[in-house]
Amino acid sequence: MVDALHTTLQESKTDQVLIDRYAGEAAEIVGAENVSANQADLLSTCRDYWPVGNIWRAEGSVPALPQLVVWPHNTEEVSRLLALADREKIPVTPFGEGSGALGGVVPLRGGVTFDLKRMNKVRAIDEKNLLVTVESGLNGALYEEQLNHAGYTGGHFPQSLRCSTVGGWLSCRAAGQFSTRYGKIEDIAVSLEAVLPDGTIFSGRNVPRTATGPRVDHFLLGSEGTLGIITSATLRIWPLPEKRRLAAYTFERLEDGLEAIRLFMRAGTRPAVVRLYDSQETGNHFPDLGDERCALILLIEGAAKIVEAEASVIEDCVQSRGAESAGYKHVEHWLEKRFDISVASMLFQKGAVLDTIEVSTNWHNAHSTYRTMQEALLGVEGTMLVSGHYSHVYPEGAALYMTTVGFPGEDKIAYYKKIWQVAMKACLAEGSAFSHHHGVGLHRGLWMAEEHGTGLDVLRRIKKALDPHEIMNYGKLGLGEVQKWQK
Amino acid sequence: MAEVNMEQLLNCALCPNMCRCECPILQVTGREAVAPAGKARITALVRENQLDWDEDMLEAASNCLGCRGCTIHCPFPELNLCDELLYSRMTAKAEGISLPFLDPYLNNLRKYSSPYGQKTGAVVTSGCEAEVLFFNGCTSLANNPASIEATRSLLDRAKVSYKMIEEDCCGYPAQVWGEQELARQLAAENRRKFAAGGASTLVTNCPECWLTFTQRYPDLGQELPLEIIDGPAYFLRLIREGYLEPKKNPNGGDLEIISYHDPCIWARTAEKVDEPREILHMVPGLKVEEPFSSGSCTRCCGGGSMFQLSFPQIASAIARRRLEEFSKEAQIVTACPFCREGLLQEGRQVLELVDLLERSFK
Repeated sequence: MVDALHTTLQESKTDQVLIDRYAGEAAEIVGAENVSANQADLLSTCRDYWPVGNIWRAEGSVPALPQLVVWPHNTEEVSRLLALADREKIPVTPFGEGSGALGGVVPLRGGVTFDLKRMNKVRAIDEKNLLVTVESGLNGALYEEQLNHAGYTGGHFPQSLRCSTVGGWLSCRAAGQFSTRYGKIEDIAVSLEAVLPDGTIFSGRNVPRTATGPRVDHFLLGSEGTLGIITSATLRIWPLPEKRRLAAYTFERLEDGLEAIRLFMRAGTRPAVVRLYDSQETGNHFPDLGDERCALILLIEGAAKIVEAEASVIEDCVQSRGAESAGYKHVEHWLEKRFDISVASMLFQKGAVLDTIEVSTNWHNAHSTYRTMQEALLGVEGTMLVSGHYSHVYPEGAALYMTTVGFPGEDKIAYYKKIWQVAMKACLAEGSAFSHHHGVGLHRGLWMAEEHGTGLDVLRRIKKALDPHEIMNYGKLGLGEVQKWQK
Repeated sequence: MAEVNMEQLLNCALCPNMCRCECPILQVTGREAVAPAGKARITALVRENQLDWDEDMLEAASNCLGCRGCTIHCPFPELNLCDELLYSRMTAKAEGISLPFLDPYLNNLRKYSSPYGQKTGAVVTSGCEAEVLFFNGCTSLANNPASIEATRSLLDRAKVSYKMIEEDCCGYPAQVWGEQELARQLAAENRRKFAAGGASTLVTNCPECWLTFTQRYPDLGQELPLEIIDGPAYFLRLIREGYLEPKKNPNGGDLEIISYHDPCIWARTAEKVDEPREILHMVPGLKVEEPFSSGSCTRCCGGGSMFQLSFPQIASAIARRRLEEFSKEAQIVTACPFCREGLLQEGRQVLELVDLLERSFK
């Protein structure tokens, strides 16, 4: 009889008597049917899309298990459930759809996982002010679908669109594939409603900008559940674009493509999609373009006259750097395939460790960061392939997205740790930021001190003030000891 | 008997699930364990002997409507998670794990050959020798005898040589509830009855029965010696060949706005999305208006996999969600007794295609 799985990272658990008492009181708040300690529910909320979770799953273990799962339905319920947990000093882990790639939902100290997916309503679409207020547990694709039905777009299309929640985007400062026009989620968010560990509910105002002191609601952006729980947000929306124009080009060198992008961003254009692939990824994604040149794909959308003007400026910039036009069909192909990550499941079953590492660079080190990270990753024994592309661009720089595939043999965990060690070291040495949009989670907490310097101490002080009993998502963002993973 | 395809099951278990937005159960419950990958992970752990079934895990793995909504965005063309879960659940019984709340329905199946209990006797067998055997299915028999009368009337109008028989359940409920042997017994009995009747064609309006006859019976070693035709295709054939000619607006006057709810199995498994619409377009006085999602991207009514019996609250919630996709003014028409029942129970008037068609003659 096998009735329980081994946990590899469980730091501690809460006294079961306390958990049972909490379950009883929670049932009075959300109903008994929305409180569960059954194995199926504990297993399903114990991990996210962190590759380590899949490695351990194959070995019959899980990172850590919660002791209870609750499903609140509204902000008031979240408040009462959190206050109750705070009173009893029970650890709380917020959970959306589990698409995070860095162990951000692993309940290291057990306790209660708050599955937020019942909070899934679009509360209001404000057409006059181009705003939508939406609860944090709504699935991204269903959010966009409801907006489209009303004639709008949310402008946020992460690759995880169909498997992530609005709250997850806000909690880890997500980026969508159309971010160059619409912005990252922190640019799209106008205000947040959130609950602090003691149950305090607070929200910001839906005005364009303020000079009324720091925006305390915005402080929850990127906090990954360590400071409180985001329960809803008011986000910017846009009328569905009048026109969309697609274009693809190739460059002899990656640097030429980067320079072309820098020029058209400097000129003030804001195409929605800008993706520049190295020659390997060009060959992988667009075989007919070969694997010797670097492909740039562009999607420009909005009012027709603006689109035409932007296309004209962009054309001048890319031609000035020696681009060859590749038509538009490659962009259509990308649109069709942009949510397909099936290769990860298939390669894993063949023994591979595949991961993606996204970092934030400025123009002066955008290319050198790519070279340095690639060299470092290829230096790890077992690595078969390292490739990269730039997927989000700004006047000041670009996000670099590295993909690495290795066949390390037996000890996949050791290999996984090694590739991250060398990649983070290379990234930080170049002066780039260690994450652009995947966030920190559990794993990247190991480099938070190097990333933030004394800023991490500021974050710790804020954490201590807002969450004195350390109940919120323990061990994430580098806040709290994660001894078993550090070993 | 089809086997679980572990490679495909693991593809799903290892995936973050781009299909999550199209899993109606996940969307109404918010429960991670019933997400496609949640169910695949639990099932894979059991199949790999890392965990034994327990009642809770079996209950989670049973939370699948068989609607195949998860295939809309699935990047694995060979993956049929609904089937993988169905085959996996059958192993639980061998381990002595079952879901006690299903016992009354399984007892009904054993005692009355219907999950709903004693049959109402709505069907009068007819026709000694006939070319077509018309199979109504338990759900029409239990919930909508009027549709059977409409079917009979249409067949009579078309002068079809047909018969209806005292039916036993097709066995689908037994399969989705993990009772493979009971399913096999029902299949064998049906095969015997069908073969004895001399008909060359079997027609059914029930998608679950159609799926069972065409795809499950061969797995059970009970392939039927008849041509099996789905109701929408059959009635369309009768209209095209001039045996049925819809006469007038079924509403009796004003133009009627009709929205067709695509049953999941007809739309995604049988790929029958054009046939019912073609029928609707042949009925005078109808204006067909599509709901928010339709065709192969239809969304389930909550009635798949016998959910109206096994998980009635979830079925109701899914039906309510689906109804939000229809305009208030439209008359909803569907071609599945489960869909009709599920949507009807949430307060909307719903007609089956045969009901609408028959009304066009009156």
